[in-house]
Amino acid sequence: MNPDVQPDEAASALSAVRRQQEQVINAVLVPGWYWWVIAALAVGLGAAVDSHREAVLAITIPVFAVAVAVLTAAMIFGGYRRAQVRSTDLLGPRGALRIMVFVWLLVGTILGAAFALRAGHLRYPGTIATAIGAAVLVAGGPVLMRSLRGIMLSNRPTGPQ
Amino acid sequence: MIAGRFDELIHAPTRLSIVSLLAATEWADFSFVRDGVGLSDSALSKQLTTLEQAGYVEIRKGFVGKRPRTSVKLSGAGRKAFTQHVAALQEIVARSGASVLPSQV
Repeated sequence: MNPDVQPDEAASALSAVRRQQEQVINAVLVPGWYWWVIAALAVGLGAAVDSHREAVLAITIPVFAVAVAVLTAAMIFGGYRRAQVRSTDLLGPRGALRIMVFVWLLVGTILGAAFALRAGHLRYPGTIATAIGAAVLVAGGPVLMRSLRGIMLSNRPTGPQ
Repeated sequence: MIAGRFDELIHAPTRLSIVSLLAATEWADFSFVRDGVGLSDSALSKQLTTLEQAGYVEIRKGFVGKRPRTSVKLSGAGRKAFTQHVAALQEIVARSGASVLPSQV
């Protein structure tokens, strides 16, 4: 212990630590445009399914798969990232659980809506179901990010404040 | 409960900022750290060399495509020293009975 350090200096240093870590957490969150792009791609895929044209599907499905994979990989690992957050400490099992719940909610919404619309013999079930899923994505994505941000802030060694 | 251990090397404001930033990451680009702590390239290099010599950071140079890229990582020893230093700071504040709320600093 250093007896020369006064409590106000220690408190000031702790504030500096919190600020730096908050900066990292803010920088690694997925940006808002990501949800809009994925949502648009999903609706495009739904519309392609409703077209019932093999040629359209043959192009749309690989484009969708590759675009989502590339975008998501870029968010997590790619050149877009200038730092990799320490997810084991900061995100923890609570953060991982929230991500899984969000993904299942999204998939469940799209599939549930698609089957229900198809059973009701409505036109364009794929487009409508993915549009509903897109709305969940666009509205829920930023909410998920805010939630993960809160978890990461509370898991810092200096605590949530 | 982590036992506090005040670390003079980490406590210097610039190095505390660097280590705090790195503690939240697995790794970070040199440019990310530079922008995050607001230092020039040369000033950051100097501080990172000091931390590297203490065994607190690992510096890796590589390429992304054809572009050179330097990344920095807090070592196990650096992470332990940082955690203990934060605990020491918290102990100092707690002993004084003062709040550690940033707004009250």
